[in-house]
Amino acid sequence: METGQQARRTTVLPWISTVARLGLAAVWLIAGGLKIGDLAASGRAVNAYQIFPYDVAKVIGAAQPFLEIALGLLLLVGLAVRLSAGISAAFLLIFIAGIVSAWSRGLAIDCGCFSSGGELGAGASPVYGWDIARDAGFLVLAGFLLWWPRTRYSMDGVLMGDEQ
Amino acid sequence: MSKATKDRAAQAKRIVAEQKAKERRRVVTLWTSVAVVAVLVIAGLVGWGIFAGQEKDNAGSVTTPPTAVDGGTAFARGEGPVTIDIYEDFMCPICHEFEDAAGPTITQLVDAKKVTVNYHPIAILDRYSTTEYSTRSAAAAAAAAQGGKFYEYHETLFANQPEEGSAGLDNAKLIELGKDVGLTDQAFADAITNKTYTGWATKVTDTASGSGVTGTPTVLVAGKKLDNPSAQALTAAVEAAAA
Repeated sequence: METGQQARRTTVLPWISTVARLGLAAVWLIAGGLKIGDLAASGRAVNAYQIFPYDVAKVIGAAQPFLEIALGLLLLVGLAVRLSAGISAAFLLIFIAGIVSAWSRGLAIDCGCFSSGGELGAGASPVYGWDIARDAGFLVLAGFLLWWPRTRYSMDGVLMGDEQ
Repeated sequence: MSKATKDRAAQAKRIVAEQKAKERRRVVTLWTSVAVVAVLVIAGLVGWGIFAGQEKDNAGSVTTPPTAVDGGTAFARGEGPVTIDIYEDFMCPICHEFEDAAGPTITQLVDAKKVTVNYHPIAILDRYSTTEYSTRSAAAAAAAAQGGKFYEYHETLFANQPEEGSAGLDNAKLIELGKDVGLTDQAFADAITNKTYTGWATKVTDTASGSGVTGTPTVLVAGKKLDNPSAQALTAAVEAAAA
C-alpha cells in the first residue's frame, strides 16, 4: 500500500535524480573535453600542484581527460548509476583535497579543473574558495545519485525492467 | 477454489515474482558495475597510450639547435660567472612586462661580464592562440639563434607580442620580423616554414616542467628561483651569488 506521499516520492525523485545524473554527466564531459586536446598541458597542470613527480603527473594528466569523458558518457547513458556516482564523488573529493593542499602551501595556480591550468602569472590571484565551492556543488549531485540512483531514461532502468 | 486458497496462490506468485525481480537487479547491478570499471580502466589506458605515442613521435622529430647550451635547452648570452636562467613564453604578457622592466638591468649585468644568461624559450601557452603560437615562436627563436641573432629576435618577438586568444603571428610575419633584425638568409625562413625546431620547443618545455618550472617567467639566479622576478630582486640575487 502506498500513501500519497510515498507515491509522490517514487514519481518525483527519479526525475530529480535524472536531472542530477545528466548534470553530472555534462560536468565530466565538459571538463574532459576541454583538456583532451592538449595532453601535455594536462600533465603540466597536474605537475603544477607539486604533489607527484613529473613523470607520474604526466601519466595522470594524460589519463584524466579520458576518464572524465568515459565517466560522463556512463552517466549520460545511466549505466550502474550508483557506482558511477560513487566514483564521481571519489574523484571530486580527490580534486578538492588537491586544491586545499595547493591553497595551504601558498601555490598560485589555476586549479586546471576546466582548463589546462598551470601556474598563474604575477598579479592574477587564485580563486581556490570558488573552485572548492563549485566542486562541492558537483559533490552534492553525486551524493544525491548515491542515495537515489534510480533515474528515468537510464540503461539501468531498461536492464532491470523498470522502464517499459 | 476457496477464496483463501486463491489468496495464498496469489501471494505465492507475488513472492516468486519479487524474488525474480530481486535476482534480476542483483545480476544487472553486478554486470553493469563490471562494465563501468572496465570502461574506466580502458579509458585511462587509452589516454596513457595516446600520450605515450605523442611523446614518442615528438622524440623522433627533435632537431636540437647546435648553438643551444644547458643540455641543448637554452641560448646563452654573456660570459659572466653567475648564471641566470630565464624560462619564458613569447605568448606570456608577464614575460613581456618582465623583459621591459628588467631587460636593461640584465643587459648592464651582461656588459659588465657579471652574468651569463641562459634563455629557455618554452611553450606552455599554446591554448592562448589558435595556431600554437607559443610553440611556433619558440621554434622561430631557435632558428634565430642559428643565425646568431637570438637576443635581437627575442626582443622583437616581445615587442610584437600578439593578443591572448588571437591567431598569433603567422609564419610569414615571423620571417619578416627576422629580416628586420638581420636574419635575411634563406636558412632562417626555411627553418620556420619547415617547422624544423617545433619538436625541440616541445622537448624543452617538457625538460623545464621536469625540473619544476610550472609557469613563466621563471627566473633562476645561480640555480635559485626568484619568488617575484624584478630588476631589483635580480640585481640583489646576482650580488649575493657573486659575493
